[in-house]
Amino acid sequence: MTDDVFFAPISDLNARLKKREFSSVELVKAFGERLEKLGPRYNALALPLTKIALSGAKAVDGDLKRERYRGPLQGIPFGAKDLLSFAGHPTTWGAKPYATQILPDTATVLTKLDDVGSLLLGKLSMIELAGGPGYRLASASLQGPGLNPWDLTRWAGGSSSGPASAVAAGLVPFALGSETSGSIITPAAFCGVTGLRPTYGLVSRFGAMPLSWTLDKIGPICRTAEDCGLVLHVISGGDSNDPGSAGKGFYYAPEFAKKPAEMKVGFAAVDSEWADPETRPALEAAMKVLRDTGANLVEVKLPDYPWGALIGTVIGAEAASVFESLITSEQVHELADPSQIENLKAALAITSTQYLKAMRIRALIKKSFRELFDQVDLLVAPSRYAVAPKVSEPLDAAGPNRPQPATPGMRSLIPAANLAGLPGISFPCGFASGLPVGLQLVGPPFRENPLLALASEFQRRTDWHKRRPPA
Amino acid sequence: MKVSNLKLTRRQLVIAAAAGSAALKASAQAEPQTAAPAATDKVRQNAETLAKFAIPISTEPAFQFKA
Repeated sequence: MTDDVFFAPISDLNARLKKREFSSVELVKAFGERLEKLGPRYNALALPLTKIALSGAKAVDGDLKRERYRGPLQGIPFGAKDLLSFAGHPTTWGAKPYATQILPDTATVLTKLDDVGSLLLGKLSMIELAGGPGYRLASASLQGPGLNPWDLTRWAGGSSSGPASAVAAGLVPFALGSETSGSIITPAAFCGVTGLRPTYGLVSRFGAMPLSWTLDKIGPICRTAEDCGLVLHVISGGDSNDPGSAGKGFYYAPEFAKKPAEMKVGFAAVDSEWADPETRPALEAAMKVLRDTGANLVEVKLPDYPWGALIGTVIGAEAASVFESLITSEQVHELADPSQIENLKAALAITSTQYLKAMRIRALIKKSFRELFDQVDLLVAPSRYAVAPKVSEPLDAAGPNRPQPATPGMRSLIPAANLAGLPGISFPCGFASGLPVGLQLVGPPFRENPLLALASEFQRRTDWHKRRPPA
Repeated sequence: MKVSNLKLTRRQLVIAAAAGSAALKASAQAEPQTAAPAATDKVRQNAETLAKFAIPISTEPAFQFKA
């Protein structure tokens, strides 16, 4: 099996399985060996499950032999962030207090992937407790700092560090991550892969670590936008086990979405001033590619709300309730990052009126976004305004002293879109100092197809998503 | 999903043990004396910011939050 296999998109792997170029057992074995060998290099591997995947692969090969096809994910191995429960095996949530935790149920998303013959190859590392309370160290994870395959001195991003670095390094064809506020978009951008945050409620969270019931989403991290669509097609859908489930499914059909030339895409010109100077050429070139698709780029303003205070209050209050028994026990001190510990403790003091105020403002935010999406189909912004930081530095280290632009642009698009439950996608759009730069698109609720259609068109016109990190 | 029994392989145990030491190393680098006041301050600042934000009295919270 050549190295090309490790960086091939899902549809290509599935076609080659059907043509019997290789068997699912061979594919799982090759990825399993690679994940177990190279995963620790990036601190990406939490729990190898190759043996179990191999037994599933044998069954898939039998099905393929009999031409019992179950879709494009059949026979494809994948990794899952270690906040998803796989019954009978450790689910650590990346945190020492839960290092030996074994949960009784398997997460709905894992069951759905199993149903179509996709094979769980391993659990992947994450920032402890998905970083919700607020962390400042890249090392705030059971496996140590998530290292970026493009430069091992740089962070892979969080909190879905392992899923993003494993996909970037060709250790799994795709992975499942989760986002409460930025945990898919950020690592996807830093590692140069494509990550999709679905609309809140579209994908079941049953069996996933709760951090913030009104913000948590599970989504795919893949090589391409098309792969994200294929995975979302399988993992989406109503689930009576998830009280937040919207009861809606997703049918991947980008061909029925508006054509890019019919799309109006909102952007903020001031974003280029906010972006780190070294990332500007990549971002400007990416905007030109978007224009070349025929999309009509129009300047818009992100609604004005106190985003930081809102997201901090909602996550803080909900996480303090979820983890109350941990916070009030001595075990909280086993967390790796003192900021997480103190932020969790402090969040117990958030009052009901403060939380309710934040939730009332969220109702207004949804209305503001509905109005904004009357003007444009999608929003575009840099996924992050700088490349991956060094793992040796605190994540809140002050950046270079530059004059602040006069207006905020889309700087707060990640918390804003998460508070409104909106879908988003980050895809690679260039490099700066040898590190990936990402662009994000955000759309109205349950409009994943237009996001995927425009991102796919971008990827047809560029090859950033095909680049491979140093061997 | 096929659920196997609870046996862990030697490799899985080694990874779990290594994970523990990584967490301890990270704790050692930390600066707990500054984290507590910063966390309390952040909650207070967030509360002040939200208190200043005027909203119509009829606004209901996004309970049963749906996008």
